[in-house]
Amino acid sequence: MPQCETKYFESLNYEPGSEIEFPAGLPGFENCRWFLPLDDPARQPVLFLQSLEQPGLCFITVPVLAIDPAYQLALTAEDMGALALDATRQPVIGQDVLCLAVVAFGEDDVPTANLLAPVVISLKNGKAVQPIRDDVVYGCRHPLSLEQSPCS
Amino acid sequence: MLVIRRRPGEAVVIGDGIEVEVLESSAGRVKLGIRAPREIPVMRKEVQDTREHNRSAAREIPLELLIPVLKRLGS
Repeated sequence: MPQCETKYFESLNYEPGSEIEFPAGLPGFENCRWFLPLDDPARQPVLFLQSLEQPGLCFITVPVLAIDPAYQLALTAEDMGALALDATRQPVIGQDVLCLAVVAFGEDDVPTANLLAPVVISLKNGKAVQPIRDDVVYGCRHPLSLEQSPCS
Repeated sequence: MLVIRRRPGEAVVIGDGIEVEVLESSAGRVKLGIRAPREIPVMRKEVQDTREHNRSAAREIPLELLIPVLKRLGS
């Protein structure tokens, strides 16, 4: 089994085929294509996206539906092609794709989630994109705080 | 902020070599054409915002502070 050095965990072995591929990388990380999704039952609903190319790179993500249960995808036909999805309808989250918001920790210690550009992973072919929405429905720095209601 | 009214077909220039032309305008939407030297990055602001948010997310994050907040989501 291939082995992977990780940022937040020990080095670990993983099943070949469990990697996900961002053919175009992520904004700001265009050269990083291969990631390993890691979950930890003690840290649900967090999903860690560990770079297989840079051990020091790991994104912390949460499912968008945990932040906003009414979240609606708006993928373009091009995105859906890259994910091998039926381009005639938006994919169903949890059934066709995983949809994750990247979480950052701001300078004012308020964690923020990017709902404007969610990571979308195809459950059909393991490919992923982080497309930026063309509308103004969701924000790039949605604050996550203890006092915040889930879908404000 | 400098505010200039322009019609489709009209343009503004910024510095030496950057030109922004209004190509179309319709209800709630404007189509711009931008000419700039190759070394000047031109992108939608949302792309820059997402790049910066990703870079911030890639830094060392204090998990002991963050995870309790995230675990409360959806519960």
